[in-house]
Amino acid sequence: MALPPPDPQFVLRGTGAPVHALRFSCGQEPAVPVLFSGSENGFIHVWNLKTRRVDTALDGHGRKSVYCVETMGGKDSLLSQGRDQRICLWDLAEGRTAVTDSIFTENVGFCKCSLVKVAQGRWLMAMAAKALQEVQVLELPSKTSVCTLKPEAGAKLGMPMCLKLWQPNCGSQPLLLAGYEDGSVVLWNLSTGKALSQLVCHQEPVMSLDFDSEKARGISGSSEKVLSIWSLNEQQNLQVYKTHELVNAGISDVTIRPDKKILATAGWDHRIRIFGWKKLTPLAVLDYHSATAQCLAFSDHRRPPERLLAAGSKDHRISVWSIYAQT
Amino acid sequence: MAVFDTPQEAFGALRPFCVQLTRVQTLENVALLQAHLAAVSASALQELQEYVLFPLRFALKVPGPKQERLVQSVVQCIASVLAATCVKKQELLQELFSELCTCLSPPSGSSKPASQSEELKLAVIQALHTLMHSAYGDIVLSLYQPSTLPLLGFAVSLLLGLAEKEKAKQIKISALKCLQVLVLQCDCQEHRHLDEDEAQRCGDLFASFLPGISITLSRVITGDIKQGHKPTVSAIRLFYLIVGLVMADAQLARIPKIPKNKEKLPVEQSRISELMVHRGPDWTKSTAEKLSLLLHKMVEFSSVHPHWKVRLELVELVNHLLRNCSRSLVDSFSHLLKALVGLVNDENSEIQSRCNEVLQGIAEQGIVAQNRALADVLSENLHSLSTALPRLMNSQDDMGKVATLSLLLGYLKLLGPKINTVLNSVSHLHRLSKALIQVLELDLTDVKIVEDRRWDCESAYGPSGSLQHGVQAGRCQKKYFRFFTEERVFQLLQQICRVLGYYGNLYLLVDHFMGLYSESGMYRKQAAMVLNELIVGAAGVGVDVLQEREVSLNMDDLKGSITSILDEYTDQANWYLITSIDSEEISHEQSAQHSGLLARPGGGCSNVLLPSLEPHVTTRTMNSNIWQICIQLEGVGCFAAVLGKEFRLLLLSALYPVLEKAGDKTLLISETALGTLVDICEACSYDSVQRLINENSDYLVNGISLNLRHLAHQPHASQVLDTMLRHSDASLLPLVEDVIQDVLSALDLSYNNQAFTFLRVLHSVMTALVQWFGSSCGEEHQQRQTAERQSRTLSPGQQVVTSQEVERFFLDYVRQKQIAEGNLPDTEDEETDEVPPLAKPEPNNSDTEGGTPLPSHAQLAKDVMERCIHLMSDGSLRVRLKVLDVLELCVTVLHPHGNHLLPMAHRVWPALVTRLISDDPLAVLRAFKVLCTLAQKCGDFLRQRFSKDVLPKLTSSLLSQAPASARAGPVYNHTLAFKLQLAVLQGLGSLCEKLDMGESDLNKVADACLIYLSAKQPMKLQEAAQSVFLHLMHVDPDSTWLLLNEVCCPHQYEPPHASLQPVKLSGMGRQRNEFTDNVLLLLERLQQQESPTPKAGTQEPSPP
Repeated sequence: MALPPPDPQFVLRGTGAPVHALRFSCGQEPAVPVLFSGSENGFIHVWNLKTRRVDTALDGHGRKSVYCVETMGGKDSLLSQGRDQRICLWDLAEGRTAVTDSIFTENVGFCKCSLVKVAQGRWLMAMAAKALQEVQVLELPSKTSVCTLKPEAGAKLGMPMCLKLWQPNCGSQPLLLAGYEDGSVVLWNLSTGKALSQLVCHQEPVMSLDFDSEKARGISGSSEKVLSIWSLNEQQNLQVYKTHELVNAGISDVTIRPDKKILATAGWDHRIRIFGWKKLTPLAVLDYHSATAQCLAFSDHRRPPERLLAAGSKDHRISVWSIYAQT
Repeated sequence: MAVFDTPQEAFGALRPFCVQLTRVQTLENVALLQAHLAAVSASALQELQEYVLFPLRFALKVPGPKQERLVQSVVQCIASVLAATCVKKQELLQELFSELCTCLSPPSGSSKPASQSEELKLAVIQALHTLMHSAYGDIVLSLYQPSTLPLLGFAVSLLLGLAEKEKAKQIKISALKCLQVLVLQCDCQEHRHLDEDEAQRCGDLFASFLPGISITLSRVITGDIKQGHKPTVSAIRLFYLIVGLVMADAQLARIPKIPKNKEKLPVEQSRISELMVHRGPDWTKSTAEKLSLLLHKMVEFSSVHPHWKVRLELVELVNHLLRNCSRSLVDSFSHLLKALVGLVNDENSEIQSRCNEVLQGIAEQGIVAQNRALADVLSENLHSLSTALPRLMNSQDDMGKVATLSLLLGYLKLLGPKINTVLNSVSHLHRLSKALIQVLELDLTDVKIVEDRRWDCESAYGPSGSLQHGVQAGRCQKKYFRFFTEERVFQLLQQICRVLGYYGNLYLLVDHFMGLYSESGMYRKQAAMVLNELIVGAAGVGVDVLQEREVSLNMDDLKGSITSILDEYTDQANWYLITSIDSEEISHEQSAQHSGLLARPGGGCSNVLLPSLEPHVTTRTMNSNIWQICIQLEGVGCFAAVLGKEFRLLLLSALYPVLEKAGDKTLLISETALGTLVDICEACSYDSVQRLINENSDYLVNGISLNLRHLAHQPHASQVLDTMLRHSDASLLPLVEDVIQDVLSALDLSYNNQAFTFLRVLHSVMTALVQWFGSSCGEEHQQRQTAERQSRTLSPGQQVVTSQEVERFFLDYVRQKQIAEGNLPDTEDEETDEVPPLAKPEPNNSDTEGGTPLPSHAQLAKDVMERCIHLMSDGSLRVRLKVLDVLELCVTVLHPHGNHLLPMAHRVWPALVTRLISDDPLAVLRAFKVLCTLAQKCGDFLRQRFSKDVLPKLTSSLLSQAPASARAGPVYNHTLAFKLQLAVLQGLGSLCEKLDMGESDLNKVADACLIYLSAKQPMKLQEAAQSVFLHLMHVDPDSTWLLLNEVCCPHQYEPPHASLQPVKLSGMGRQRNEFTDNVLLLLERLQQQESPTPKAGTQEPSPP
């Protein structure tokens, strides 16, 4: 007999608006573990996971929805992207709450930017550019443009919907996976600025994707009832590996846990689904929210049993789950 | 009057008398000398000391029998000389000493005690006393040589004999005092302090006398109480002084193991040396043993001595011996400490304080800590005491228990930090803990604990008041124990636990008692009590100790312990216990435990021990469960108090369970929980429970929302919400809105089995809303009520019209008139005045602007009302009744928002009509109430519907039932039909009034009710029918008057003028019938109602 579906370990309330982005920072031991959440009212809340309360609320996007929050190294350095078409870099050390730098994206979409660390203190960030179909890659913190990725003239990919920068194991130039409005996923080479491979995974816009560079496999979700798993062969070609049928349509976020064992999806049916990453066996359906689940994040606790999964939802709540034991 | 200052003059003056005395020894001569001595200065006398003493000594030495009185006066005279001078020669001292002693020696040969007069004895003793004091400087030490041992021995035995045998108190005391001087332990300060060697030598010397002295003294001490306290006190004093000197650790430590003498000794001294004692280890040991026996006897006797000074002296004895002989007399300390510790609780405050001082001193000097043997003695005492404790607790009376427990407490305090060595021994810890657990057993026979329920969930809804009340009641809730009733006993037990916690290894103790806690349900309550006190003690709160602990408390350790205890307390198996036989609750608790087992396999292991699995739960078990929960709640309060603000972090897990219990149905539990809440407030420095709840509402809401997901925990979650609402204010609403929505959706999911639980919550939600937002929504209602009241100044009880009312009436009248004339002065001002500061102006204009969004509380009320519509036809009467209550509140809250209320009322109507027409009488009654409220709020909107849908059916059923009830016997009162009739009749009157019904409807009502005024109807129905008419009188007195008079008219009405037609009423001149009584009664009431106003009676009915 299956165990009854677990309850959230706790629920964070008080964002006062739908939650669009989540990011943990729990790795630095003596420091208090925190969770960053970006919500529709333009605030980034810093949740203290010890007291389960908001420590600080950052207001840097002119009350416009914040839909992407990333940490850069520790919990003292933060990147946030909002609908005010700006990406802000924050300095949060020693209680400061200052925006140190900001980038004007001029993009009106809601494509989350993607960040990868290429060297100590050097980052690459991919973001949707001003031109509708383009993606721009910048180096941070210098903000120098690395390249601009334009689809071929005839291709009607539509807007980029989700991005994933990743570094192949061999340590060469990072590659970018981008999901587009027409349902296709494209692998870009940053140095040549050319598409290496294109795969049509969905009939609808790709809402979210994640990629496991070890297994060279990725997963994407769209507004349909299907999860698409695709793989990347040695020739850098994307191939459909498997599809997984879901009960209810609409996936707003897909995340593979850092240890690559399980993945979680946030669904428009208010539920969070957990799958085994290897065979995509359904493991659990986490049912708590009363509105669309919009974003997911796995924590980076040092000790595996402490690791958490957080889900942000349109119902203004963030549910935090301890699912390590169940997997 | 020292006339003779120089020795020469003095000599001249004294010489004749000395010569005279030397020649003839008579009383007169002695007296003469004595008289003149007084005229000589001390310095002069010093020079002449030996000269003056000579005739006196000579008088004593004269062979042959002597007159006793002479001897006495001579001795007194010597004493007076000695008192003024000092003895500077060894020989003189020794000679005088021996001569004085001889005075009392029995005639040689006879072994009988000298049969001298008491005066003589006294004189000699005093003279000896004076002699010892007049010895100059080191001279006195010459007495304490081995060679003088026989002499000393003689004196000692002489004095001891006197002290023991003599009857006269004075002699006894003087003898003992004298002995005290003799052993160089005089109280007065004149004496030179002995250095170490001298003391050592004296010690050696006195060791020979020790057996004699100690035995005799012990006899004196344990002698007849009639001898008075003074000899006993002196004897005790002398005893400890001599024992303290001879057995002094410092001295004994310096004694070589092997006697070093056997040097060349003169022959005559060798005999003396036999008398000498060598205080080697063997001697010490055997002497200590013997002394131990004596001490035991003495302590037993004098610790209960009726005179407090004796007991006080005993404290001194223990103090002195403990300070000087803690090693040599270690075996005796078992008794001594017992006495000392026992005397801490003496009735005499002086003894108490001295005891505490002594104990304090002992602890401060670390006598116990440094002396292993002593610690062993104490722990041995502790062990045997804890072994005997359960038995003693069983057999002793409360006073005895107090004594025993203070003894235990005293041991623990004395042991201080050494407690840990005791606790490390398994058997000690085991004994002690078992004893405590046994003593703390509660008396579980009180049924009231189980019976007292909190019923106020429906009525008496006043957060501040009820809380205050609850706290006071919760604070003074006394526990009843099986083995004792005295409060002091409990306080002692508390102190014992606290002292344990203060000194003891906290982890060890907490572990041990947690083990006992989970070992058996029998121990659980006691173990929890002990744990609570341990923590309090560990934090050093309210604990009275003698010395600081060595290692100060580590806050993290304390927090760790508290967290683990808290987890155990709030574990499902220990927190959700059956406390009532309410079947509903039982099933909840059981399912909660069951699901607890499922969800947390670790937590449920102790479930087996719970009696909950038995089908029948006895009152005793429930009582026990109630107490367990209360003790655990108290524990939470203690922990909060101990941790202070640190506890805020633990609120995450602790607040929810406490609030859960605050909403418990059992009075004791909910009150205790409220007390705990107040404790938490104080500890975490929140101003009020309200603040506490508001500021931590996120934690609570989290718990509620998660628990609502489980069927079994839903009742608890709703209890928590209930409590939150009860104790907070409007500012809480935004925080809990979200969770109320959760409740609603949970209700939607499980309306078939949990409906009542949720309705209870919804009821409290709505009650809270009415209270919080009542000022805005009830304002109009109130105004209307006051208006009604004003219009009803005629009603009985309000007949007195005050001048203010007259004034108001007049002002109103003037204003109305002005308005009628088109004058609208100051209306703006008045409106703003009337709107209370809290209320938004929204209520006034929302009727006109349909599009404005509802404020959240009204939206909530609407949502709840929606559910009510569906639940109103629930199968269970209980649910239906509750729904109706909730509905009424919803209507009140929604009232200001007419455009939302009316559609809802429209939807509610069909279901409500069903309740009114064909439901249980109880529901009908409740539905009437709702209808009345609804009628007030919706007015005309309902009047039509009521007269169309409800009224015909009600009146027809009343009419059709009337014959049946008129015929029925007394059993009819118990039928449903009767109850229905009654309910309708009781409700109808007020309804008509509230709905402001039209005339035709009123007539219908009156017609239907009239037959119930018949004397054939059951009394209750008659009364109810009367009430209908009383209400009708308020609405339309005139038509009612007419109607009643049609039935029966008691008076003839003469027209005031012949030109007017005579009044004819069909009731006139009728025979007395079944209606007469009631109608007359009603007419009388009508008369009363009308008469006080000037217009009534004289005026013919005028339209209102």
